[in-house]
Amino acid sequence: MTLAVAIALTIITAATPLLIAAIGELVVERAGVLNLGVEGMMIMGAATGVGVAIVTESSLLGVLAAIAAGMALSALFALMVLGLAANQYASGLALTIFGLGLSGVVGAPFVGIQREGIRRIELPLLSEIPVIGPILFRQDPFVYASIALVAGVAWFLWRTRAGLILRACGENPVSAHALGYRVLRIRLYAVLFGGACAGLAGAYLSLVLTPFWTAGMTAGRGWIALAIVVFASWLPLRAMLGAYLFGGLIILQLHAQTAGVNIPSQFLAALPYLITIVALTLIMAARRSAGRGSVAPASLGQPFAPAR
Amino acid sequence: MTLTRRNVLAGASALAASTAIPMRAMADDPLNVGMVLIGPVGDFGWSTMHDRGRLRMEELMGDAVTSTLVEAVAPPDFDRVVTQLVRADCKLIFTTSFSYFQPTLRMAEQFPEVMFENATGTSTMDNLAIYNARFYEGRYVQGVIAAMKSQTKQIGYVAAFPVPEVIHAINTVMRGAWSVDPEMRIRVVWANAWFNPGVEADAARALIDQGCDVLCQHTDSPAPLQLAEERGIYGFGQASDMTRFAPGSHLTSSINNWGDYYASRAQAMIDGTWQPEDTWGGLDSGMFELAPFTNMTPEETARAENVIEGLRSGEIDPFAGPIVNQAGEQVIGEGETLTDDEIRAQNYFYEGIDVSMPG
Amino acid sequence: MRLTMERRAEGGKWALLLSPLLAVVLTLVSSVVIFWLLGQDPLRALSVYFWQPVSDAYGLQEVAVKATPLVLIAVGLALCFRSNNWNIGAEGQFLIGAICGGGVAVWAHGWGGAWVLPLMLVAGALGGMAYALIPAILKARLRVNEILVSLMLVYVADLFMDYLVRGPWRDPMGFNMPQTVSFGPEATLPLLFTGGRMNIGSVIALAVVVAFALVMARTLKGFEIRLVGQAPRAARFAGFSDTRLTITVFAISGALAGLAGVIEASGTVRQLLPGFSPGYGFTAIIVAFLGRLNPVGCLIAGVFIAITFIGGENAQIILRLPRDMTLVFQGMLLFYILACDTLILYRLRVVRPVDPGATPAPGVRS
Repeated sequence: MTLAVAIALTIITAATPLLIAAIGELVVERAGVLNLGVEGMMIMGAATGVGVAIVTESSLLGVLAAIAAGMALSALFALMVLGLAANQYASGLALTIFGLGLSGVVGAPFVGIQREGIRRIELPLLSEIPVIGPILFRQDPFVYASIALVAGVAWFLWRTRAGLILRACGENPVSAHALGYRVLRIRLYAVLFGGACAGLAGAYLSLVLTPFWTAGMTAGRGWIALAIVVFASWLPLRAMLGAYLFGGLIILQLHAQTAGVNIPSQFLAALPYLITIVALTLIMAARRSAGRGSVAPASLGQPFAPAR
Repeated sequence: MTLTRRNVLAGASALAASTAIPMRAMADDPLNVGMVLIGPVGDFGWSTMHDRGRLRMEELMGDAVTSTLVEAVAPPDFDRVVTQLVRADCKLIFTTSFSYFQPTLRMAEQFPEVMFENATGTSTMDNLAIYNARFYEGRYVQGVIAAMKSQTKQIGYVAAFPVPEVIHAINTVMRGAWSVDPEMRIRVVWANAWFNPGVEADAARALIDQGCDVLCQHTDSPAPLQLAEERGIYGFGQASDMTRFAPGSHLTSSINNWGDYYASRAQAMIDGTWQPEDTWGGLDSGMFELAPFTNMTPEETARAENVIEGLRSGEIDPFAGPIVNQAGEQVIGEGETLTDDEIRAQNYFYEGIDVSMPG
Repeated sequence: MRLTMERRAEGGKWALLLSPLLAVVLTLVSSVVIFWLLGQDPLRALSVYFWQPVSDAYGLQEVAVKATPLVLIAVGLALCFRSNNWNIGAEGQFLIGAICGGGVAVWAHGWGGAWVLPLMLVAGALGGMAYALIPAILKARLRVNEILVSLMLVYVADLFMDYLVRGPWRDPMGFNMPQTVSFGPEATLPLLFTGGRMNIGSVIALAVVVAFALVMARTLKGFEIRLVGQAPRAARFAGFSDTRLTITVFAISGALAGLAGVIEASGTVRQLLPGFSPGYGFTAIIVAFLGRLNPVGCLIAGVFIAITFIGGENAQIILRLPRDMTLVFQGMLLFYILACDTLILYRLRVVRPVDPGATPAPGVRS
């Protein structure tokens, strides 16, 4: 295996949890809801996933439990911001605090327990092809799932009627409501989908990437997922690009260190964030010169309460 | 070296075990011991091991002590937490991070009737002791083993932050490796976290991809070791016995073991013999130990055991001259050796270590 | 038949009072249940949590110490949020404030005079302001999303602090530990009372609250901020420039966050080191909303949140509850308060389906 292939493989594993969580949040935000609680849902997924997998000795049940845990937390969030029209920013932050605490309680019995990670799926023959073989055909199921998710979400949002309605709820909930669509119900589905994805991303951390539980193991990845959504201008394929870019920067700064690049490691570690800001600025400058405006869903973050 | 230093730990567990019962009968009220942790108790590393030490102390001393734990305390909250511990009648308080050293000095001055102990601090007061373990002795052994195991002659080192503790650990790995093969080299990656399993794993991958075939880690999670197992190379565990995380590639782990020390200090409080010691316990102190060697041939094991013996007896000194730094400058010459304070303040790497010093 | 929410014509007066009361009652009831489930004496637990932190002079001072940065940051954020500017990166501005102010202290260590402290405060506020202006200008000029930029800059500030205290600003006598020198007396905010940690910083925070309450209520700028948030179109007709306003509110909130940072550095921590902030910048976002984006509200909310933090520590010490339990408890409490806020803006009603007309909730103030 050449170094380049090895680096590519590492980038993919580092990017996959970011991508899964980001694609879920992207759907949520397309529906006009901003859930800042991704970190909380993700870590609950990680704790529940590994806990259930250890107790039942089944990775599949662990994954399902992680998805359920993410959805349960997102349902709580939905109750707050959709049911009670509470502020989305504050509710999301409260969800993060809640999730970080609850994951510690749930995970406490499992600290330091070793379990076998989920193995890679190797497609016979195809995985033997040099370079692209290991990258494309020798991955764990989550990597395939993340790509399927991207494709599925892209197709759903732009090729289906339901996707159009969902986007309408994010752009102009009043009109969508006037047309007879149940804005709150659609947003609820979107929020639940986002929770499921965040839970799945958490499961990837605790069942595949580093198969064990420790408190606080998401270490800010939920926040990076939020950043990727904005970086991607709310477009699924670009979210994939963003996740791989972020993953790539994280990995390459580690490689730069091993190569003895004489720059303080903090600067290298800050690079992904700085590059995101620069990239975003360039994108917006280009849009501006092309005469186009902001790309965020128009009613993102604003509560909607159907009234008479 | 170790043996020439004061060592309050000799036979600590034996002492605690044999005297706990009479002591219990003598003490009217149990001694309340406080502990402040820098991380969450479930970090499975530094903080977890201090908490296990606390539980071990309770187990050894039975009804003679009670203990109170506060976890994940940020430096701005430290003064208040300590004040509350004092108010909750703690007479002996362990503050388990160097980030707490300055504030502990402050609080020790404010509460002269309470005895403080700071882990990895650098000076004492009438009511402030400091304690740490000479983990670097274990690192030296790791270096020897790594050099015996490595084919590529490159050791990968997943390090947290360039603090002195980590720097002199890396240096001693280098020293140990050279004692076997002077062509050994170390590559270091800073994970910029004591604890971030994902990044630790990524750092390990980067090192392996760059050709390292033995991994040392100075971060808390078992992630780098698991990676070593996955990639079929060797690795060492950190803080606790991590054999089960990598049965096919684990060589040994450095196990933090604070319990006996905590018990001996609590006992000293009860006996009225507590002194503001400066404890830096080596391999024979029991403050840390090496997990049983795995995946090693009998010859390799024998050689490693020999090195341990040499460190114990003082025959091997990882900080004996000549020491040449990365830039090729001689730090000390033949026949000289670094003092403890010089070791604590080490801010340069030995030659052969492929890393840049930040700052 | 189903339950729906109906927007009140104007904020219900009785609901304004009832909402916090209901939140308190709900919180009390569920904490009694939780404590009981955990095998604690509920009354004792409640008193540890909510009463003990304020039961004596020392406790009150500690509440002030903890609340000071929260209140300062939240007052600035409230301005931003009111005018639809989403500054999520106050944590970064807080750190940069500490760095700029702390830099003065490090530089002047050992030879500085009485001028050090004022210079630190100014440097901290200016630093925070400059840092907040990055997302503000990008938003105003290029419509770059300010949530993202301000959030990214938090991580950058955190790493920058890390670099400084491990590199150039490391205490030369500190055995290479990643921290600056302990600030000298010339760089330390004076304490208000002996036997506590409350310092001049709390007075500054109080003064800021009063000043901003007056500004928001009495001045044209305050009106402009409120108008832009509530009715951006009307504000544009009235000739207010929203780009200029974006820059103004970001500058103010950045300056306040920076000021909070330098106050924390010189009054409480007295050195710079990794882990300097326990997330004040993020917690302050919650404080701003709990305080209903009103300066006096932020004061009350900041004090309340400070009490729950200290109560959580006490619960660890006295009740030996794990910290995670206190986080769960805190999250729950916030949910209740946010949920009960709904009562102020909406009326719950049972209606028959289907009802075609709808109006959106204006802004995000609910």
